[in-house]
Order: sequence, then C-alpha cells, then structure tokens
Amino acid sequence: MHDLLEAFRLVAAPDVLVAILASAIYGLVVGSLPGLSATMATALLVPVTFWLSPIAAIATIITASAMAIFSGDIPGCLLRIPGTPASAAYTDEAYAMTRKGQAEMALGAGLWFSAIGGIVGTLSLVLMAPLLAEMALSFSTYEYFWLAFLGLMCATLVARSSPIKAIASMLLGLLISCIGMENPAGTPRFTFGLTDLLGGIEPIPALVGVFAVSEVMRAMVTAEPPKLPKRKFGSILANQWMLTKKYQWPMWRGNIIGIIIGVLPGAGADMAAWVSYAMSKRFSKEPEKFGTGHPEGLVEAGASNNASLASGWVPSLLFGIPGDTITAIAIGVLYMKGLNPGPTLFTERASSMYALYIIFIIANIIMIPLGIMMIRAASVILRAPRAGVMPVIILLCAVGSYATGNNLFAVVLVGLFGMLGFVMEKNGYPVAALVLGIVMGSMVEQSFITSLIKSDGDVMPFFERPVSAVLAALTFSALLWPVGVWIWNRIRHPRLPAGGATG
Amino acid sequence: MMTLPRRTLLGSAAGLIAAPALAQPKWPNRPVQMLCPWAAGGGTDAVARILAALLEKDLGQPFNVVNRTGGSGVVGHTAIAQAAPDGYTIGTITSEICMLHWQGLTELTYRNYTPLGLMNSDAPGIQVNASAPYQDVKSLADAIKASAPGKLKASGTGQGGIWHLALAGWLNAMGLKADHVRWVPTNGAAPAMQDLVAGGLDFTTCSVPEARAMLDAGRARSLAVMAPARIGAFPNIPTLKEAMGVDYAVGAIRVVAAPAGLPADLVAAIAPALKRAYDTKEYQDFMNSRGFGLVYGDAAGAEKALAAADLSLGNAMKAAGLAKA
Amino acid sequence: MQLSDRVTGAVLIALGGAAAIFGARLPAVPGQDVGPAAFPMLIGGGLALCGGLIAFGIGHSFEVPEEGDDPAPPGSLHLGRLRPLIPTALLFFYVLAVERLGFLPTAAVVVLLAAIALGARLRLAIPLAIIAPLCVHLAFYKLLRVPLPAGILPAPW
Repeated sequence: MHDLLEAFRLVAAPDVLVAILASAIYGLVVGSLPGLSATMATALLVPVTFWLSPIAAIATIITASAMAIFSGDIPGCLLRIPGTPASAAYTDEAYAMTRKGQAEMALGAGLWFSAIGGIVGTLSLVLMAPLLAEMALSFSTYEYFWLAFLGLMCATLVARSSPIKAIASMLLGLLISCIGMENPAGTPRFTFGLTDLLGGIEPIPALVGVFAVSEVMRAMVTAEPPKLPKRKFGSILANQWMLTKKYQWPMWRGNIIGIIIGVLPGAGADMAAWVSYAMSKRFSKEPEKFGTGHPEGLVEAGASNNASLASGWVPSLLFGIPGDTITAIAIGVLYMKGLNPGPTLFTERASSMYALYIIFIIANIIMIPLGIMMIRAASVILRAPRAGVMPVIILLCAVGSYATGNNLFAVVLVGLFGMLGFVMEKNGYPVAALVLGIVMGSMVEQSFITSLIKSDGDVMPFFERPVSAVLAALTFSALLWPVGVWIWNRIRHPRLPAGGATG
Repeated sequence: MMTLPRRTLLGSAAGLIAAPALAQPKWPNRPVQMLCPWAAGGGTDAVARILAALLEKDLGQPFNVVNRTGGSGVVGHTAIAQAAPDGYTIGTITSEICMLHWQGLTELTYRNYTPLGLMNSDAPGIQVNASAPYQDVKSLADAIKASAPGKLKASGTGQGGIWHLALAGWLNAMGLKADHVRWVPTNGAAPAMQDLVAGGLDFTTCSVPEARAMLDAGRARSLAVMAPARIGAFPNIPTLKEAMGVDYAVGAIRVVAAPAGLPADLVAAIAPALKRAYDTKEYQDFMNSRGFGLVYGDAAGAEKALAAADLSLGNAMKAAGLAKA
Repeated sequence: MQLSDRVTGAVLIALGGAAAIFGARLPAVPGQDVGPAAFPMLIGGGLALCGGLIAFGIGHSFEVPEEGDDPAPPGSLHLGRLRPLIPTALLFFYVLAVERLGFLPTAAVVVLLAAIALGARLRLAIPLAIIAPLCVHLAFYKLLRVPLPAGILPAPW
C-alpha cells in the first residue's frame, strides 16, 4: 500500500506529468505522419531520455509508443498510408470507410477500441504478469514456428482478391527477408556485395515505400478524387458505444488474442493485428462485408494491437526480454536509468513498478481526448489540395527513413519499394501481405532452423508437443481454407462457363 | 625595471609574432560527432552516450552520439574509419571489428583506427538452468567431455558471434574440438536465456549482464566467467581459472577510436579526457549498475587489446570453421 | 502499369527459380544440418508454383474487380507513362544531392518538382517548397538532433 502511494507521488511529479503530455503529443504527431513510424519515434527519444529522471524517461517511451501505434491508423484511414506495420492489416478497410464518408466512425473505432485494448492489456500486465510470463517461458522454438506460420497464413484469410496472389506476395516478402546475414547460419545471402544489405531489409523502409511512395505514384496518374462535401467532421465518439455493444464478442476476442500474442517475445502488435483481423473475418456473421468498409474488423484488430503493446511489457519487465524493437529500446532505457528489469523491479523497486502501471493507464486514458484533437487536426488533410500534401509526404519519407540509422541507403530502399508496391497493386497483389512476409520472415526461419538443431534433425517434436500440435492444426486449416472453398465451389457448380465463375 | 638585453627583446618579439601562427584553436572548439555502429538502446549505445555526456561536461563542447547502423556493424565501423582524422569525428568500435574481416565481410581491421581508450570489456559467463544438476563449472566440463559430440546444446548469440567463439575457444582450451557442443544460433542473448530457462538448451555463454534478469529471478545460475578476474558487480561468480584451472579468458571490448592517422597532439588531448571520464563516479556507477566490465586501457593499451582480440578471435574462428580469410 | 496475369506469373516463376538456384549454391554451415540454402529454395519453389498457378488463371475466380480510377487530366510535366516514376526519381535525387547541396536546397527542389508534377500552381508550389523544408529541418535537426547535412545553404539555427 505504501508502495502504491509512493508510486502516485512519483507520477505526480511535475517533470513526469510534463513528460507524459509532451511525449503523448510527440507520439501522436509522429505516428500520424506518413513516412515516419512508431519505431523511429521511440528510437529518436533515447537521447532525450538521457537528461530525464528515471520515471520521466520511461514515461516518455511508454506514452509515445502507445500513442504512435494508435495514430498510425490515422494516415492509413485518410490517405491509405499506414503509419505502422500493425495498421497495414486493416488500412484498406478503414480507407474504404472513408470513401463511404464514414471516416469518423473508422477513426473513432480505432481510437476507442485502441484505448480499451490498451487498458485491458495493462490490467493483464498488472494482475497476471507472473502467469503470463510462465506461459511465455513455456513457448519454445517449436511453438514459435507454428505461431509465425499461422501469422503468415492470415494473409490468405484476409485477401480480398485472389488468395494465390496474396500467398505470392507473402512469399515475396519472405524472400526479401532472406536478404542479409541475419540468419541462423550467419551467411550473407543475396547481398550482391553491398555492405548496406548485410543487415537485411528493415520492415519500415519497405512499409513506407510500398504504401506511401506508391500512393504518391498513384496520385501522379489518377485524377484527384472528388472532395468530400465540406461538412463538419461529426462527433468521433458518437457511434462507439453502439459498436461496443454490437461487437462485444469480437472486441474481447481481440483483447485476449492481443494479450497472448503480445506476451510472446518476438510476436508483437503487427502479428496481433493481422491475426485478429483474420479471425474477425473468419468468425464474423457478415464476412462478405469485409473489405467494403465494415467496422467489425477495425474493432477487433484495433483492440488487439494495443492490448499486445501493453502485454508485451511482461517479458520485458520481468526478464529483460524484448518483444519487439520498441520494447528493446525501452529495456535499454530502463537499464540506463537503473530500473533493471527482473524481479528486483517488483520487490525492491515496487513503487517504480506501480508508477509504470499508473503511467500505462494514464497514457491510454489521455489517448482519447488527445486522439480526438489529433483526428480533427488530421482531417484537415482531407480538404487540403493533393498537390500540396503529396510533396510533403515524399519529403517525410526521405527524412523519416534516414533518421533512425542515419543511413541514406534506407531512402534508396524506400524508392525501390515504392516502385514495387505500385506495380504490385496495379496487378492485384496485396502489398500488405508483402510487408507481413518481411516482418515475419526471420521469425519463421529462425524458429524452424533452431528447432531442428535442438532436435537433431527430428521433425516429430513439431507435432508431438501439445501446444505445437494445436497451433499446427490451426495453421493447416488456415492454409487449406481457400483451397477448400475452391473445391466446394467446383462441387456445387460443376459446369462453369469458360472464363467466368460463380460464387 | 631592468632593461632587457636586446636579444631577449628581439626573441620575445619574434615569439609574440609567431605565437598566433603556432597557436591553433584548442581542440575541441566546435561540436564533436561520436559515431556508434549499433542501434539506440543497446549496450554500446548506452556506453557511448554516457561517455559523450561526460566528455561534454569536461571539455565544454557538445559531443553528439550518432547511430550509424547497418550491415551488422560494418556501416558504422566504415564510417568511423573513413572520416577525416581531425578529432571532430570519433566513435565507439567493438570486438566485431576483429571478427568481420576474418569472415571476408570487410577489408577493415583495427589498424584502420587510432585507438584512444579501452572503456569496457565484458567477459562471457557460463549459465545453466537453475534446475540443472551442475553446481560448478567443473562438473559441467566433465559432462561435456563425457558427452558425444554434438549432443549438448549451447547458445548466446548468432552463428559466429563473439559468445560462440568464446565457447569454441573454451572447448579448444579443454582439448576438445570446437564443435563438440552444438551451437544453436539466436538473435542475441535474450532469446538464448529464454530458451535456456524453457529447457531447450544445456547452457549459455553470453555475458553475465545479459543474463542478469534471469539470474536475479532465480531461473538460471552462472557457474563461471571467462575473465582474468572476477567481475565487480558479480563477485560471487568464480573465474574459469579459479574454478577449474583452465586459463582461458576472452572479452567483448568497446574502444573509443578515431580514424587512422590522428595527429599525436589530438591523441594527447582526447585520451586523457577519456581516462578522466572513466574515473568519474557517474561512469563507474553506471557500469556497475548494468554489470558491465570496468576495464580501462589508454591509447596504447587499447591498441594492444585490439591486437590480442584480433589474434584470439581469429584463432577461434579458424577452429570453428568460420574463417574465410 | 497493368500487366496480364501471364506476365506477372512468368515473372514470379523466373524469380522463384532464380532464388532457388542461387540459394542452393549457398554453402552449408558447420553444426547445422539444415543450412542457409533451405529457405530460399523452399520460398523460391513456392513462388514458382504460385507464378504457375497465376499464369494459368487458377484462383482467378476469387478476384474482386478493381474499381478503376479516372486517368489524370493533362497537367504540367507531361511525361506520359513515366509520370509514376517521378516520386522514386525524386527520392534518388535526394540521396545523391543531399550531402553536397545540403538538406534545405535538396528538399526544396524535391517538394517543388513534386508539387508541379501534381498540377499545383506556382502560387502554391513555391511557398510550400520554402516552408516545408524549413519546418521539417526545424523538427528533425533541432528537436530530434538528427544530423541533416548543411551543404551550401545551412539553416540559420
């Protein structure tokens, strides 16, 4: 009890409160600018944290990353340019809603359910951290392999167009993830002698390229879409209560899936968003509406990715094991400030722990008013002339991708991926699946190879271990789903007219 | 006042005229860039940042840490080597520079740099699961010797990474083949420790600070460190020499360096500043709180450490079949 | 550019084949039975398979017809079919020029050309090309301490 009161006192310190507010605005702004990303935002905070007190320092990281993951939805919805790989899972859906004139419902859903997901995730952190940690530790490389594979298969479940093209995009992404020497063998692959490729292709330049740059390229060859009628941007929260009641079950499913996936180190918000969106479509009563501008997927995936963010702190705080790049940075800051992850954080520094929990909750609560202001500010974009917005986007793409590693090669990559994304989209290959492949590729290979090394080449453990078996079954059903549907169609309609198909 | 002899007057007049030409602006007179080849938030980044802050306080000019990542460290190390040797671009180089050229990934070696100060050396530890039967490193070593080649599994970093080489060197020192224990590559120490605790590995050879959280949680036990002396922050862990008489030690070192060809007067300005930074309470506290090894070497000492690392890591790589050069 | 499924399928087959062939050449690593060649070969094979399926039109039945966008009205910088390449060209220009010219001039050129290419009038393009680089520079250089090259026109701060 004394620790809890001490924690409130720690958080109420003026420098901490200012840090929270400032980093919230920073995270919101950076996350919502196309070309910049949440990872970049967090990495660029590290020098700033150096000068701050420990609680203030970690507060900036927590707040900025939580805000940026939400605000990555904003450019995705308004411009079809997702701010983070997590938002890429449902960008098309959100954009379709904007075109139907329902932008505020889409963004409101993103905001509301992100906040709920974040709070539920934090509660899981507070109440169930040790339990979740046990679960995380029992996941070995065999389980990770199936989980990663399952995540990849979600690309097929959500494809609006041909699932074969979705799989092809995903395989292309996997191939791209093979580039470099960051593989279990430590052997440089497909680097063509370029030093810059030794480290492989980072997902962020690829994401920025295939979404943002290719969108600008599309703008070069299409007419400006008709402006939405100049009406007041409606209340953002108006419909959210209705949505909450209607989609209660998907929301909770999203929260739970997000918590579970987030707890597993290596599987983060990106995967959570994808898996949840796919599950939403799979279990929905109205699956045909997905892709036309339907909020159900946004509810589940929006809750999931913020929940996974919060629960991702469990392995970080308990064992210093990062869940993704952002938590890796956060762990570095924790160490730098003397808040070493591990049990001592819970026993000797309990008041600091509670302070962190309080900051999580504050961050998710202030997300709502600040998010509303950010959305209103961003909606101005909808009325700005495209010829003014797009050039700034190009500039941000260049600087944003340069900023994290101070490497101009990243800008070259953005340009190349822009061209790739443009060609792919024109021919019906979903680029979101490409990004998914790039993000997940190393996890799949790493877990596969290390599992084989540990089992001395035996593949049986992949199927014998209980959790592995369950995940394997889920994965195969996801893989065979489109094939099954195709066969089903052929059986039901044995004679198809040449070149056409009935559904 | 006595009249000064004319010679002295002339001499001093000449000195006064010559002085402005000789007196260059004292280094540093504008901000200095400190390049770090590794990502923000990592260990090398943290050391670079604290050194930059201490140097800034000492010398009065901003020292900006710039992360130049990419190519598994090659990009940053190349940037440091290719900068102008004017004292305004320095960087933190790491043991990787002694490994990359053996793999044929770059032409750079430690000779492309002017070492200024060895600031840190982390030794690998040997960690086992808390429920493992080995209470000391000797019993683990006996188990290794008794096991069939490739039966036991160890990890700590990626294939060919420094902890892998540490294991290879240790096995060699015990008279075993470098691959007697199968190495399971991981993306760093954290996943390795996780797998150790989950029961997937027999032991890890990552550094003790990297394993610390698991050690504190009572999930893992550190049996020894491959260092010449016990680590200050972990005084209960014996060295390999103490525990089993095998005199094998290796370390992941971090050296502040400038491009090769730095003029001697600049070396004479920077190197002592680094020593002063090392001696400050803030640096010592910081390193101790993280458990990083507090090892110092001046410019000459740093060069010796790099040369020794180049040799021993090269040998370990050849033994493990990883060297191309 | 819209290509037929045959063409994209063929490209995928070629790419998959190349990946598999070059991947198979990668040397195995001591201590690992499944080497670095495995994944490229698997993925290459999968890509080639998908490419084949796509080229033969299998799975086409699932496709939702794409809504066509209206083509752009003739604007400035007529370059016809090369217009989509403008953003990438500008990014490459940025990479080549920023170290020599410095951030502010390079960024101004990029913004100006992009705006004109999209049909903005000079009344919008020129002020934008001046203000946007300054704002971005302020945010990144000053606030976030990202070293943007000064070049021939360093920022006043």
